[in-house]
Amino acid sequence: CLVFFQKRKTNSMLVCARTVVHPKARIIAEAGPIIIGEGNLIEEQALIINSYPENIMPDSEGVEPKTMIIGTNNVFEVGCVSQALKIGDNNVIESKADVGRNVILTSGCIVGACCQVNTCEVVPENTVVYGSSCIRRVQSEKPQPQTLQLDFLMKILPNYHHLKKTVKGSGTPLRN
Amino acid sequence: MASLLHPDRVVYLVRGQKRIRAPLSQLYFCRYCSELRSLECVSHEVDSHYCPSCLENMPSAEAKLKKNRCANCFDCPCCMHTLSTRATNIPAPLPDDPTKTTMKKAYYLACGFCRWTSRDVGMADKSVASGGWQEPENPHGQRISKLIEYYQQLAHREKQERDRKKLARRRQCMPLAFSEKYGLGTRLHRQRPGAPIATLAGLSLKEGEDQKEITIEPAQALDEVEPLPDDCYTRPISLPEVTTLRQRLLQPDFQPAGASQLHPRHKHLLMKRSLRCRKCEHNLSKPEFNPTSIKFKIQLVAVSYIPEVRIMSIPNLRYMKESQVLLTLTNPVENITHVTLAVCEEDDPDDINSTSKVLVPSKELVLAGKDAAAEYDELAEPQDFQDDPDIVAFRKSNKIGFFIKVVPLKEEDTDVTVSFRMRHDFRNLAAPIRQSEEGGDAAHEAVWLTHHVELRLGPLAP
Repeated sequence: CLVFFQKRKTNSMLVCARTVVHPKARIIAEAGPIIIGEGNLIEEQALIINSYPENIMPDSEGVEPKTMIIGTNNVFEVGCVSQALKIGDNNVIESKADVGRNVILTSGCIVGACCQVNTCEVVPENTVVYGSSCIRRVQSEKPQPQTLQLDFLMKILPNYHHLKKTVKGSGTPLRN
Repeated sequence: MASLLHPDRVVYLVRGQKRIRAPLSQLYFCRYCSELRSLECVSHEVDSHYCPSCLENMPSAEAKLKKNRCANCFDCPCCMHTLSTRATNIPAPLPDDPTKTTMKKAYYLACGFCRWTSRDVGMADKSVASGGWQEPENPHGQRISKLIEYYQQLAHREKQERDRKKLARRRQCMPLAFSEKYGLGTRLHRQRPGAPIATLAGLSLKEGEDQKEITIEPAQALDEVEPLPDDCYTRPISLPEVTTLRQRLLQPDFQPAGASQLHPRHKHLLMKRSLRCRKCEHNLSKPEFNPTSIKFKIQLVAVSYIPEVRIMSIPNLRYMKESQVLLTLTNPVENITHVTLAVCEEDDPDDINSTSKVLVPSKELVLAGKDAAAEYDELAEPQDFQDDPDIVAFRKSNKIGFFIKVVPLKEEDTDVTVSFRMRHDFRNLAAPIRQSEEGGDAAHEAVWLTHHVELRLGPLAP
């Protein structure tokens, strides 16, 4: 997979093949590891953070690190913030959307631009959240995987950014 | 601080049929009557129709036929955004060889905002990019058009009878010669029962169609109504499947209750309007015909004739304490304008909103003309106005800043409002110049106009 730098991490993280992470995206594994699946597209200034819940101080006793699992073919558009612990496949989180920690996105969900989903629930499949008042509706089919875009980016981005060599090996943390 | 420039802070009073207070940017100025006009004291006329997304112009008759909707563009039934046509490649069997498949383009409508697609309601993909989409037929369409025809015929017949009576009365006082000259007699002779007279047929009925009497069946009241389903009260509602009231009422023909029956509708046309002063019947605003152009052929807006007052800075306002407020006056015309401010008198009927006493400068303020080339002309000498520094704070091309003193009189929580009268001279460039016999420059006569201005300064300081 192609991962572009200027991101920092404190815990372990696993990013699978065919995922493209743009420059200035931040994947912060603070309170636990993050596992990102295949074919994901994480655009600029997106923030995927596995953070501590608000009322728990870091370094306190009895806090188990929870793993954040992100599925395949998801799109995290520019400037979005995602703290959801479990994200399925084929979801689209549009620009400047905010997904809270207690939300579980199943597959095919679209969180519209600037929508905040802070509730404590499992969002059913193929749900679209849109509008200034975050109206929801169910669509009949899931969004298409962005294979064309991924292929394009994987060809073009190395021409414009420096790539540092990393140690290959599955499961090892990527070094900065 | 930007809230001080909000247009609602400074309002001008319009003395029309109703007394309206509106910011200067929303007012028009009739230079033939020399008065301010608001949107309520002008008559609005439709200029042209156009579609907001494809910007296609449409003559009014065609628009009426198509029920004011565009032929090419659709609205999303879910979020009312404009739908865009997207294409996919689907494998389709070749016409020659059914076993082989080739990629063919199929088009569907999709909304970029709420991700609604035409496949959601079951509309099949079309092979043509535009023009293949049909709106569903109104189930009551036939009955409604029959009713409309019947009532049109009825109205036409009533109008005929009324006009016949009028003409019959008039004919007795006119001599025969006149009636032949103006064709009245011949038209009356030609009146056969049922045949419409050409000038009287204002409605769109063709000749000869009137022969057939249209009868309609009266609507029948039903005693029995369809019963509600048994599980009406017990079935759990799935909210995503129920349409909102807004979605439902945008399609008054069907008013679908389920989201799977929401079909896209053609986009509504917008119209360009022209405004006309009711007193002198001159046009105040006439836009250009082309929908892509935002310019006007005639644009008599108030900001280009009347000096504009704006609030620049407000100190802390305290109850019963005098404070100085800085205002600016901008001159929109190219010649020098003299402005005098006056306090509203005690019994002024327009002075209903002010909550404070104001002291305005008593001297006349002189505003320089607006010179478009001034910023490029470095050698121009700055005009020398003798400004009293107590009154005029600064002067910059066609703008001056001046002080007024405000004493808030009410201690309530409402905003402090100030009103005063502004008197300025206006040179009417529309009126024809009277040629003087000496051949010298005939100066346009200056008319002195008075406006009632109200300012909303904001709440008292805590």
